[in-house]
Amino acid sequence: MPSASDTVRAPRAGLATALKAVGLLALVVAVVTFPMLAANPFILSVGVVIMSYAVLATSWNFVGGFTGYMSLGHASYSGLGGYATGLLVIHTGINPWLALLAGGLLVAVVAVPVGIASLRVRGASFVIVSIALVLIMLLVFQSWSELTGGSNGLRVPRPFGPDVLRPEQHERFFYIHAGLLAVALLLWWVIDRSRFGIGLKAIREDEDKAQALGVPTFSYKLVAFVISAFFTALGGGLYALWFGFLDPIFQFSILVGAYMVLMSLLGGIRSLFGPLLGAVIVGYALEFFKAEYGDTQFHLVALGLLLGIVVLFMPDGIIPALTGLVKRFTPQASSIREVTQAELAEQRRLGQAGEEPPGGPGDTARNVAEGARS
Amino acid sequence: MKVPTTLRISAAAIVGSLALTGCISGGADDGGDDDDTIDIGISLPLTGDFSEPGKGVERGYEAWAAYVNENGGLLGKQVELTILDDQSNADRVASDYEKLINQDGVDLVFGPFSTRLVIPAAQVAQDYGFLFVEPAGAAPEVFEQGFDNLFYAAPAVADDHYDHLADYIEQMPAGQRPETAAVASMDDPFAMGTAYGLRDRLEEMGVRLVVDEVYPPNTTDFSSIAAKIANSDADIVIGGTQYQDAVNLIIALQQLDYQPKMAAFSTAPTNPEFPEAIGEQTEGILSPTGYTPEAPFPANQEFVEFYTEMHGNPPGEDEANAWSTGEVVAAAVEAVGCADPDPECQQELIDWLHENEVDTVVGPLSWDETGKPQGAHLIQQYVDGEIRIVLPEDQAEADIVPVKPEW
Amino acid sequence: MSLLLQSIVLGVLLGGLYALLAAGLTLYFGVMRVVMIAHSAFLILAAYLAWWFSTETGIDPLVSLVATVPLFFLVGVGMQRLLIARLRPATMTMMSVLLTFAIALTIEGLLGYVFTGTQRRVRLSYGGGDFEVLGANIAVVKLIAFGLAAASLLALFLVLTRTKFGQALRATIQHPEAARLVGINTERIAGYGFGIGLATAAVGGTALSLDSTIYPSLHWHWIGPLMAIIVVGGLGSIPGAAIAAMVLGLGQSLLQIPLGTTWAQTFFYVALFLTLMLRPQGFFGGRLAQRF
Repeated sequence: MPSASDTVRAPRAGLATALKAVGLLALVVAVVTFPMLAANPFILSVGVVIMSYAVLATSWNFVGGFTGYMSLGHASYSGLGGYATGLLVIHTGINPWLALLAGGLLVAVVAVPVGIASLRVRGASFVIVSIALVLIMLLVFQSWSELTGGSNGLRVPRPFGPDVLRPEQHERFFYIHAGLLAVALLLWWVIDRSRFGIGLKAIREDEDKAQALGVPTFSYKLVAFVISAFFTALGGGLYALWFGFLDPIFQFSILVGAYMVLMSLLGGIRSLFGPLLGAVIVGYALEFFKAEYGDTQFHLVALGLLLGIVVLFMPDGIIPALTGLVKRFTPQASSIREVTQAELAEQRRLGQAGEEPPGGPGDTARNVAEGARS
Repeated sequence: MKVPTTLRISAAAIVGSLALTGCISGGADDGGDDDDTIDIGISLPLTGDFSEPGKGVERGYEAWAAYVNENGGLLGKQVELTILDDQSNADRVASDYEKLINQDGVDLVFGPFSTRLVIPAAQVAQDYGFLFVEPAGAAPEVFEQGFDNLFYAAPAVADDHYDHLADYIEQMPAGQRPETAAVASMDDPFAMGTAYGLRDRLEEMGVRLVVDEVYPPNTTDFSSIAAKIANSDADIVIGGTQYQDAVNLIIALQQLDYQPKMAAFSTAPTNPEFPEAIGEQTEGILSPTGYTPEAPFPANQEFVEFYTEMHGNPPGEDEANAWSTGEVVAAAVEAVGCADPDPECQQELIDWLHENEVDTVVGPLSWDETGKPQGAHLIQQYVDGEIRIVLPEDQAEADIVPVKPEW
Repeated sequence: MSLLLQSIVLGVLLGGLYALLAAGLTLYFGVMRVVMIAHSAFLILAAYLAWWFSTETGIDPLVSLVATVPLFFLVGVGMQRLLIARLRPATMTMMSVLLTFAIALTIEGLLGYVFTGTQRRVRLSYGGGDFEVLGANIAVVKLIAFGLAAASLLALFLVLTRTKFGQALRATIQHPEAARLVGINTERIAGYGFGIGLATAAVGGTALSLDSTIYPSLHWHWIGPLMAIIVVGGLGSIPGAAIAAMVLGLGQSLLQIPLGTTWAQTFFYVALFLTLMLRPQGFFGGRLAQRF
């Protein structure tokens, strides 16, 4: 069921598709060859961490990007996913990969009541709940030491035997993370083109209008939220299997959640590859700051300033900014239908100053209506 | 308006990618190790929650390296330390050792500070076959993980810190022995280990446990815990504390006018700032310690002299444990005659330590197969305004005060 | 029995500080619809300033209020004018959270940078002092902190209800468009509202420094309970926030008797979730700043 905007866009699709295919191929090649190019296991382990960030940021973007609801507490779900996976492996002895999946599903179930509580009201309470959830999880996992190991931490058995040396472990986990990332990206792409996705975006642009047009806003938001929690939990679980040690302080940390937000925002929450790009940049930047300003608290200041700058000056991220730049050299769009989300965003920013900008929320809403009719 | 916005964005993007490339090139250039030196890699919490003790350990390591280099080095080579900051973060500490071993190509590694960081770090060291001697990871859990490369370079694990005090209480005539005990411990493997070691011994001898509280690290409001303890009016109060929590707890107890017969707190009372923070009311407070500058071991006098000359004040427990870590590794290196990252050499070092005893500034150390040291801590007490060793009797500097004066 | 009484006393003393801080958070939300994550970071900043002032000069930390309150007021006005007001109205709620979150991180990082991560505590001659009332011990420092919070809260209440500025502020909170129509400069009023909100953090921080250890990341410890309080109280209602602060502070203190310190802390979050499930508009206030 192709949506109206797709058919209109078709004539120019040929070149764009080819370009996209080349870009995608280059990305795949870069990811596949990275472990071979990495100079030593340390670089490889940094690669695994960045991949893990990319998975988490992309997962975050299911709710942050589509609906515009910014969760600062997604560390709850990655931490829960990690603990669920670890505890299942330890106590039931099932296959670690099965435990990972089961852990993800479990967290998805937990996310339902949380989503109901936090999504019923708009905006503020969602963020408050997301932060509160991290703090509550930290308390619970520290105190419930019979189950979680408390502050002693929890050692998670490795899925590969001792004969698989550490560098080899890094390589395998790099590819597994990449696989999970690919699945998450594919699902994001599918949702992006579905009626469900259009509904979600309508919520982001103007929740009232979306509701008035018959978008079941609450259940849409909830579904996106649960999907996001599920993938975040998988990311957390995978990290737990790789790292092999869980400590509540570091699992349920506000900072982890803040990194997810920063990565997604920086890369561009409306773009498929935005969070991935953000993860690569922030991941490298973190290593950079640690190497340069190692023994000071400067990394926190840097994180804070960077987040502040992104929020104030480029809330749409790098990718839309770059595509905007490229588009300026191509022929101007002749019809409103050809305006992409990113361009819409650009127009909205330029037309800021109070008045309703042209091609604003109303258009997305119109798309929804058409999507519903087709 | 249109142009600047776009420019600003693209500029930011370019800066971002520059930082990225800068990082790649910055990361790849070191790692050359020449054979004239022995490189030792260490990750320490120099920022974040454990930064205070982390810095103490750093001073100890650096003093040890300076001392070794002044005295002919190790195997005739100079010792060079590479110290990274793990920001008190477990993810970071693992990545640090990964970097030290793989990228910086160090010959040996020393352990970090705090139980929380020791386990993930020891995992990395074990995976690469490295010997892992650590100065601070005393919680029993550290030794239950099945690491065969790990050694704790201090006299006793946390559970055994109060052994001498427990023995002393057991000897007391029945009428003088405390009947009730109140325990409050930070939710931290080390702090709980110390407090629960004494708690369990007391329970065994029939002391009734009336309060048993755990508080999260970083708790600042102790009034409710203090209220419980004061209400129970226990004869002995045991604090599984680090530093600031002990100060806060003691002040909160004073605010409620609670007067126990005995008060034992881990770590904090041995800190030189403690009497200043509590004021006049330190008298009679007990604390276990693994180290004292006055200890009679031959190596210790030299250590205290050297350290005092370097820093102007005598070393504390963290510094001593770091120093003894160096001594332990050095003993193994000298005995085996190698110090390189090669797994065979590392394995020989590990095997040697399992079979031998090493003389250190904290006394002779030997280990069981899990790396647990076989000893107990000294018990100190504030007597006449100064902290003195009171137990065991053969090492005592002052007589123990069995009933604490009011605070 | 005395433990119960003692806990009630402690709960009330703690609740007073919570109430003052929650009032500040409510003001921000009222005037700008901003959830100010950095509120507790400023609280800790003020506590650090008080500690620093006291250790440098040897004068009582309370005196630092003379400087920190006006300073924080100005910073608050500046923050509203220069940062918050720049955000797009459509995404104000979300983006302001991120922006204030970023400010909180920056403050935490700078505090760690300047004062290191070492835990600090003001040394007061009357720090361990107490007196007994009906079998409960009341610490002198806690009583001073409570008195300070209560006096500030009362002053705030009087300003809001008895002065012309207070009327304008309330009008801005209740209906900005209407307020603008009757000639109120809502922009300026919003800035002042922000400034007053931040000034409560200055007072709270100084009170906190009297009887608590401080360290840079302490603000995470405060922001959770404060967020719970303003949601339970009903976003935007100052009396609601004050009542919720008292109830929750007292509840936490009492629950520590059977549950222990750690589990008692979850009380705030349980209350938060229950409120959102049962009565999303909060228990004590009207719908989002409808009433005062």
